[in-house]
Amino acid sequence: MTDDALREVSGFAIALDRAYAPATHMWVRPTGDLHVTIGMDPLGVETSGTLAQLSLPEPGQVLIAGQPFGQLEAVKFVGPLTSPVSGTVRAVNAAAAADPGLVEREPFTAGWLIKAILSDPADLGKLLTDPQAITDWYAARIADYRLSGAIAR
Amino acid sequence: MSEMLRVIDFGRVTPLRSQTLWHAVAYGVSAGQPPTLSFARPSAPYACLGYLRDAAEIDQEYCRASGLPVYRRMVGGGPVYLDDRQLFFQLCLPANEVSPSRAAALRGMLEPAVAAFRAAGVDAGLDQDGEICLGDRKICGHGAGQIEDAVVVCGNLIEEFDHERATRVLAMPDPLQRAETLRLMRRYVTATPGDPQAFMQALAAACSAALGRRAVPGEISAAERERTAELDLRFSSAQWLAGPRRTATTGPQRRLVKVRAGIWTLAAQAPDGARLVASVVKGIVDRVVLTARGGQPHEAARPLTGMTVARAAGTLSTLGESGRLLAAVLAGAEGRL
Repeated sequence: MTDDALREVSGFAIALDRAYAPATHMWVRPTGDLHVTIGMDPLGVETSGTLAQLSLPEPGQVLIAGQPFGQLEAVKFVGPLTSPVSGTVRAVNAAAAADPGLVEREPFTAGWLIKAILSDPADLGKLLTDPQAITDWYAARIADYRLSGAIAR
Repeated sequence: MSEMLRVIDFGRVTPLRSQTLWHAVAYGVSAGQPPTLSFARPSAPYACLGYLRDAAEIDQEYCRASGLPVYRRMVGGGPVYLDDRQLFFQLCLPANEVSPSRAAALRGMLEPAVAAFRAAGVDAGLDQDGEICLGDRKICGHGAGQIEDAVVVCGNLIEEFDHERATRVLAMPDPLQRAETLRLMRRYVTATPGDPQAFMQALAAACSAALGRRAVPGEISAAERERTAELDLRFSSAQWLAGPRRTATTGPQRRLVKVRAGIWTLAAQAPDGARLVASVVKGIVDRVVLTARGGQPHEAARPLTGMTVARAAGTLSTLGESGRLLAAVLAGAEGRL
């Protein structure tokens, strides 16, 4: 990721060189030839709380858009990691699984979760990809979360 | 207040059913059943493991020899001991009705329990770590999770607490760590004997008020009964108990045991045989023993008592390669339990 791609929106970083699933705060970065890297954005990390455990799939596992591909635990709360795309897991970030804090510290770089091969490239078109749309969505979501008390003002 | 909060009292049920019934309810709520508050009391003791925890955290051999079943639940938290002197409650809501912030969702769903404790005469409070406490003692174990499109928070009214057995079910090869864990558990976890019927009524009333829903006694649906039977099989299998895929940790062997938020014990061993056993209370090293290879106590550990974890780790890291490795384990434990 280049520094040019990184922006700050209302106190939260966002990388504009990738696509986002707004409902789940997962990002997808195309890396060529249907290959993608998938991770969680800082707002998703913030609302999760301090990450204690991370369970990621084995390489070769099939991903279905909208279905869980793993689990995370924070504040004694276990919840799904929802895949933003369909495809097959190619690699798993063992460093993040062993140290979930990596996802908090470097959500757009070293804290990626899985690498996958898309089964349907059209999945990317269903995500937010336009930088302005991403920025607008992120700002609105931060404002909503602050208003509802989900994150600190 | 026209919408309904289903209230189900499962009563005294087998250890397995004390888990599978409310999991089935969560699937039911995900599929459209109303928000539900349920209660269950296990008829016999058993041990239970949080969804993502390592099964090796429980002393399986002891449990087998003692006739204690072990089950893995689908919500968070560590390994725990349960028996018939604990009344368990579960509040289950559609996921879209809770805050996107897990901490806020947990607080919102535990606050009715605090009100119920107070109604039962216990001066309970929700502390800054989100635990239900009486003073500095934890009085309610909780865990939460999202199961399909439902969120469930579980907790308990502890009428009596068997500290010895709650410690004994935990796998801890180091006897000093076991003794320290028991000491801290006795100090920081306590029972609050109360009238369970009064507690249940008060919790139903508090949940009803918090959610703006009319509490109505109910039963599980036919689909939830079918799901219970499926979960009985799933939860009884060795594969389920083994749990989701885990990534092996690197570095020194370690065993970390959380007693309650901010209070934990650690036993770790460096490759050269140097061992560290530490007890930490609210970020401060409460007790610590460091032994060099061969088992003789290392005098350098003495000043670590009373230090913050970060400072103690910094001091440890000056004691050669094994000190550096043990320091990394100690520092890494803080905040991730």
